[in-house]
Amino acid sequence: MHDMPGPAQGGSAYDGPTYYDRPSLKPAPFNTTVVGGYIFLAGLAGAAQMLAALVRRARPPGFRRVARTGHALSLLAPTLGAGLLIYDLHTPQRFANMLRIFRRTSPMSIGTWVLMAFSGSSLATVAADWLGRVPGLRWLRPLGRAAELPAAVSGAALGTYTASLLSATSTPLWAATPRALAVRFGASSVASACAALSLAERRADNHRTARDLDTLALAALGVELAASLACRRRWRAVGLGAAEDTVSGKVLLEGGADLVGTALPIALHAAALAAPPAASRRGSALGSFATLIGSLCLRIGVLEAGDATALRPRESLGFAQPRNLPRQR
Amino acid sequence: MSVTAERSVQAVHVHPRARDYPGSFLDGVIPNESELTCGTRIEPGKSYGFFTDTTLCIGCKACEVACKEWNALPADSVGFTGMSYDNTGGLSANTWRHVAFIEKRGPTGTRQTDQDAFQSGWLMMSDVCKHCHNAPCLEACPTGALFRTEFDTVVVQQDICNGCGYCVPACPFGVVDLNPLDGKAHKCTLCYDRLKGGLEPACAKACPTDSIQFGEVPELQARAEQRVEQLQSLGVAGAHLYGAPGGEGATGGLGHLNAFFLLTERPETYGLPPAPTRPANRVAPGLLAGLATMAGLALGALALLGGGRR
Repeated sequence: MHDMPGPAQGGSAYDGPTYYDRPSLKPAPFNTTVVGGYIFLAGLAGAAQMLAALVRRARPPGFRRVARTGHALSLLAPTLGAGLLIYDLHTPQRFANMLRIFRRTSPMSIGTWVLMAFSGSSLATVAADWLGRVPGLRWLRPLGRAAELPAAVSGAALGTYTASLLSATSTPLWAATPRALAVRFGASSVASACAALSLAERRADNHRTARDLDTLALAALGVELAASLACRRRWRAVGLGAAEDTVSGKVLLEGGADLVGTALPIALHAAALAAPPAASRRGSALGSFATLIGSLCLRIGVLEAGDATALRPRESLGFAQPRNLPRQR
Repeated sequence: MSVTAERSVQAVHVHPRARDYPGSFLDGVIPNESELTCGTRIEPGKSYGFFTDTTLCIGCKACEVACKEWNALPADSVGFTGMSYDNTGGLSANTWRHVAFIEKRGPTGTRQTDQDAFQSGWLMMSDVCKHCHNAPCLEACPTGALFRTEFDTVVVQQDICNGCGYCVPACPFGVVDLNPLDGKAHKCTLCYDRLKGGLEPACAKACPTDSIQFGEVPELQARAEQRVEQLQSLGVAGAHLYGAPGGEGATGGLGHLNAFFLLTERPETYGLPPAPTRPANRVAPGLLAGLATMAGLALGALALLGGGRR
């Protein structure tokens, strides 16, 4: 027997008759912490790889170390990230069946191949970093350089395809706003990678580049904040505002993602830019940590709030009204 | 016992109870049995589905039982929901037909205590997988476990499915479900095995009132439209189709539903979405918006970090 949720709280989207207020959709059977963790790691790894390629072109102070850190961070996706994905399968021994086909209508299939391409090219960049000086393995260095572009491009895709994966479902909260959610995930990925790289540069006393990374994080967080507001507006417009009334919606999305993960680091980084460089180091590190935590909260929060809208018939049936259909092209 | 019956008793293992009816022994499956039971010959390459006419449903749940029997599906629960005669609750990994019971309420919101003669205050509807023309579960499946059969139906291959669960939120009707015991996705197969053997699906064959009709989809659609006209002329103003091409239930790029319904109330009453959409239409907008964001921030990074060279 499925769990019977109570009547929808807050502004109900649909007031007509339902089938005994039973869910008319099934929520995704994903473990929200595990899959949310993967989306966070994929975003961090993908954006870090993209930034590694960019710093090697822009050559700011200490760019070689920044790139090496970015390459190293990219390994989070093929190792821990892939492990989480396989752990979340309900028949994990068949994980390789993902590689049987490519299906362009399925972001999970697209993502599988993006992750494969990213893993291969990222391994090449890391191998060149770590083993390129070993005599007899010098050929790894041109290989690593050749892998930089595919790693950066697949990294950009890895940092954001997960939003498309969620939108291409019938779960109301995710389906309501495909574009804003993708912008939000993409910006959060870049912000988290900037935060991680900035922390590493602060440790290495390269405050100048860390400051630039913080400025970039500030831009990404601004984009994320705008996308967050766009998401919320759209959710309210289609009657999904009550999703944020759930505990996970309040704690993870509003508290974690918006306040801790976006507003706080924006304030800290902005204050740091205004203050003299030496005075702002502690604030920068705090902002970076907050960004990383917020990025994880965002992904778990979106998963949890989405499941809540699938389980609430007044919201799912309210979203599936003709007025919410996309306009005919 | 006739000679033929004698031979078949020896040839195959027969349940002792079956020996009471020697006349019913057959040498094998009747070829194209579906022609006898529903007037439809089952041939690969044609499109098959269900037309479920809810005005004929008497809520006997024979379809639920026939489905469980044929597909060897266990019971989901042995409790009472306490809300109606519906103790099944909904479709799940082990329940591929579900009879919904809705007690109509009067205009004041309370139960009607008086009825016109021969009228029922109950709406009954046997829900099932819709076998959508553009099936979201199939389009979401990353392993190819979900596929379209030669009968234009949608089936999960149990030897391929790895239980990723992506088909579950993809379904706009809440049909597909994972079984936590075997870790695979399950749903109605439109009795793929029976169709292969020329047999009508178990639920349709068991339906005593022909509320569930099996046949070729175009033929069923024509029949359904006639039925709507007939009901409307009899004064059932609310009679309409759910899942006809491009209509209610098949909106947003779904095309049409191979298993469609005749309803007399708005679909939400039965727990059905009035305007579902095809999730695959949202893949490109999401990917493009995401990649544009990454590209924009990458340009910003280049401008910002390049400042060090000045």
